[in-house]
Amino acid sequence: MELVEPELAALQLRGVSKRFGSVVACDAVDLTVRAGEIHGLLGENGAGKSTLMKILLGLVHRDSGTILQGGEPVTIANPQQAAALGVGMVHQHFSLIDPLTVWENVILGDTGKVDRKAACAGVTRVAERYGLPIDPLARVDRLSAGERQRVELIKCLRRDPRTLILDEPTSVLTLAESGELFSVLRRVVQDEGRAVILISHKLAEITAATDQVTVLRKGKVVFHSETSQTGQQELARQMVGREVSLRAEGAALGLLPVERRVADPPPAAAAAEPVLALRDVVVELAGLRVLDRLSLEVAPGEIVGLYGVEGNGQVVLGDVLSGLMELSGGRIEIDGQVVDPARPGALTRAGLGIVPEDRHRSGVALDMSVAENLLMKSLSEFGGRALLSRRAMREAASRLAEEFNISAPSMDAPVRSLSGGNQQRLVLARELSSKPKVLVAAQPTRGLDVGAIEDMYLRLRRVAADGVGVLLISTELADVMALASRIAVISSGRINGVLPTQDATAERLGLLVGGVVAA
Amino acid sequence: MRLPSLPIAPALVRQPGATHGWRVAGATVASVAIALALSAGLIAWTGDSPIASARAIYDGSVASQDAWTTTLLYVAPLLLVAVGSCISSSAGVFNIGQEGQVMIGALTGAWVGLRLAISGPVLLVLVALAAAVGGAMWAGLCALMHRTRGVNVVVSTLLMTFIAAQVVSYAVNTSWFLQESRMNGGLVSSESNQLPSAARLGSFGHYPDLRINGGLIIALVAAAVVALLLARSRWGFRLRLRGLNPRVAQHAGVRVVALGAIALMISGAFAGLAGMVLLTTPVGTNRLQPNISGNIGWDGLLVALVARQRPVVAIPVALLFGALRSGGGFLAATGVPPYLVDVVKSLLVLAFVLPGVLVTMLDRRTRAASSTRSVTSRAVVTNEVVA
Repeated sequence: MELVEPELAALQLRGVSKRFGSVVACDAVDLTVRAGEIHGLLGENGAGKSTLMKILLGLVHRDSGTILQGGEPVTIANPQQAAALGVGMVHQHFSLIDPLTVWENVILGDTGKVDRKAACAGVTRVAERYGLPIDPLARVDRLSAGERQRVELIKCLRRDPRTLILDEPTSVLTLAESGELFSVLRRVVQDEGRAVILISHKLAEITAATDQVTVLRKGKVVFHSETSQTGQQELARQMVGREVSLRAEGAALGLLPVERRVADPPPAAAAAEPVLALRDVVVELAGLRVLDRLSLEVAPGEIVGLYGVEGNGQVVLGDVLSGLMELSGGRIEIDGQVVDPARPGALTRAGLGIVPEDRHRSGVALDMSVAENLLMKSLSEFGGRALLSRRAMREAASRLAEEFNISAPSMDAPVRSLSGGNQQRLVLARELSSKPKVLVAAQPTRGLDVGAIEDMYLRLRRVAADGVGVLLISTELADVMALASRIAVISSGRINGVLPTQDATAERLGLLVGGVVAA
Repeated sequence: MRLPSLPIAPALVRQPGATHGWRVAGATVASVAIALALSAGLIAWTGDSPIASARAIYDGSVASQDAWTTTLLYVAPLLLVAVGSCISSSAGVFNIGQEGQVMIGALTGAWVGLRLAISGPVLLVLVALAAAVGGAMWAGLCALMHRTRGVNVVVSTLLMTFIAAQVVSYAVNTSWFLQESRMNGGLVSSESNQLPSAARLGSFGHYPDLRINGGLIIALVAAAVVALLLARSRWGFRLRLRGLNPRVAQHAGVRVVALGAIALMISGAFAGLAGMVLLTTPVGTNRLQPNISGNIGWDGLLVALVARQRPVVAIPVALLFGALRSGGGFLAATGVPPYLVDVVKSLLVLAFVLPGVLVTMLDRRTRAASSTRSVTSRAVVTNEVVA
């Protein structure tokens, strides 16, 4: 295997654009990746990083712009062409098949005869060259996250890529494993002249491991620099953007709609007992701490925004608060009472309502009727000892549907037939109908259109104005800025810092989101 | 730790809305016609007359009151098994071991009936209770294996059937257990003694005319009660919720794991009760025999499958299967090979089950094809583009 010519390995994007419907995912992006360098790509959710990489991999077709390799324009119409050009990617979510062994996973997609001995030898050869020790005969489901990452890297490296893309490679790794990964990457670029694109939102990683850094925001390149010429503060500011401070100022000056001020806690609230308190909550999945001593308090009448990049433990926290998971450690208090979330119905009885992130997964039963979905948590109120009264259920459901503006063909229609916004309001109606003391709303605006988002904002503000504590889990900065009076930033399963919304500047939020502990 | 739960029933036992009911009905008519044509072809090919065969099935199942009596004797256990299956699969637990649960129910029922020296109707009640408990426990073993070792319920219920057959065979071949008593040093066969008459389900009506056995009444009442419970009770609501979305059920305070185990055991109890009906009605010899079930468990499962988990619909389906059983026996007596009767029966089952599955699959495919674009772009916009 000869070294690749540096000039040929350089990958250049000029004015690459891609839109999905009305959403512009990439807007005239220029990006130059040189051989022998690690190029950091920084940006929040929705900044357009993944779309850009999918264009390079031939999974998404660009609308306009050119891609050059070694100065020559190239077309990447499909993943095969991308592979032929030497573009390889390690995805954030591993694409390994658990019950197969390491060598079987590595040769997946190869053509020709399967030769176990040769395949194992190949795996060992690549593993030794890059210092990625692995047993080719081990089954993947027995491996740790770090070892799986190694398998993904070996899969990629053995195809001898000129450009290696890594998407959030450390999100499942321990600190030591991350360190190993970066020393391997260093070897890959320095000794072999390959190019590496490192997608990350962790500022420390970007500043420590990359040579060049590009920041994307809303599909545009907003910043580019040699890493040595910039710092974490600068990058944080660029990643989150100016709008934060503008919004915060607007809030402070009372320029934003009046309702948002209703959400502010009354002066006494600071002294009030928290209605929801998470204390050192730990959840371990497959040996990994997904929630790592997470602590957070929500006072009555207050909206607290839990903000962070996707994949930092928000989904698991949502599952815990839906009663779908046991805690590995710590405790949850609702209105001063310790509640075991895994006990069926305990959270509801204690006064917690939740609008889950994925309503089809844990919010509604799509094939049950509107009435059944609305009332499933309050069955005891309808009918006699054994049988439910259908009429009473239909009447109660109609009242809720009217109150929450749910338009459904009938109360007996399956929830499947409702639009996304109506399904979302249905879940909200059900959770609020039991008069909760705390409402958790996870990504409540995801997949909704502008009108439905406005409606959801209004309803959440009203809920808080009625004295309910609201925990808003969101990856949308716009959501938390518009609704929350305090913003807690989650990173790698722990709260990295809590800011009053007025004090939330781009730099401070960016540093917290980027895993830099609050200054 | 994610809380464990019993596995979800395969998609084929769940029906989507009633919207495509007409298409399913049309497809069913067509596929039944095809199955009948294929059956006729097969019978003609083996050298018999299709028309004479159809006539024989008709004569043996519904042509006379006598034939009706036989048919209805089969309907009772079939319906009981099917009603139990409706409960477990509504809860999203796919029990396919009814055959074994029927056998164990018959075994425990026979043991109580032969060992307890009680006379009068109390004995019959005790036999029924013992059979139900036996079937429930046999199914409960599968729930236990799932809970403790994560063994798949579909696999364990199936395999436990073969163990049940061995247990029954052992029981009727072991003198201290249930083998018939030796009389005057003669030979003993592999069956139990005959149950005392107090432990038999009576019939009403006049022999040789139409006679309705008590087992049928039990089965019909069970079907009606279960249908009402599933549709209207709080318990039935939780059961259906668990089957349709276990996560939502858990969120709504349902004890998902326990309820799944209970549903599986109730399903086993109904199968055990079917075993008791086979043991105590004139459909058999009132003795425990190794082949006492004679595939009633499997057929009852098919009844539930065809009826798609609706106990009331299971009544006519069980009637059809009962008629095929009695008519098939009659047909075999006219010289058509018995395996051909089984082939005809299987073809009919396929004809009833396939249309629903096919229409659902086609719907899903067209929906997937039409929504691929929007789904991908939406997914890309919401999560992926995004990181």
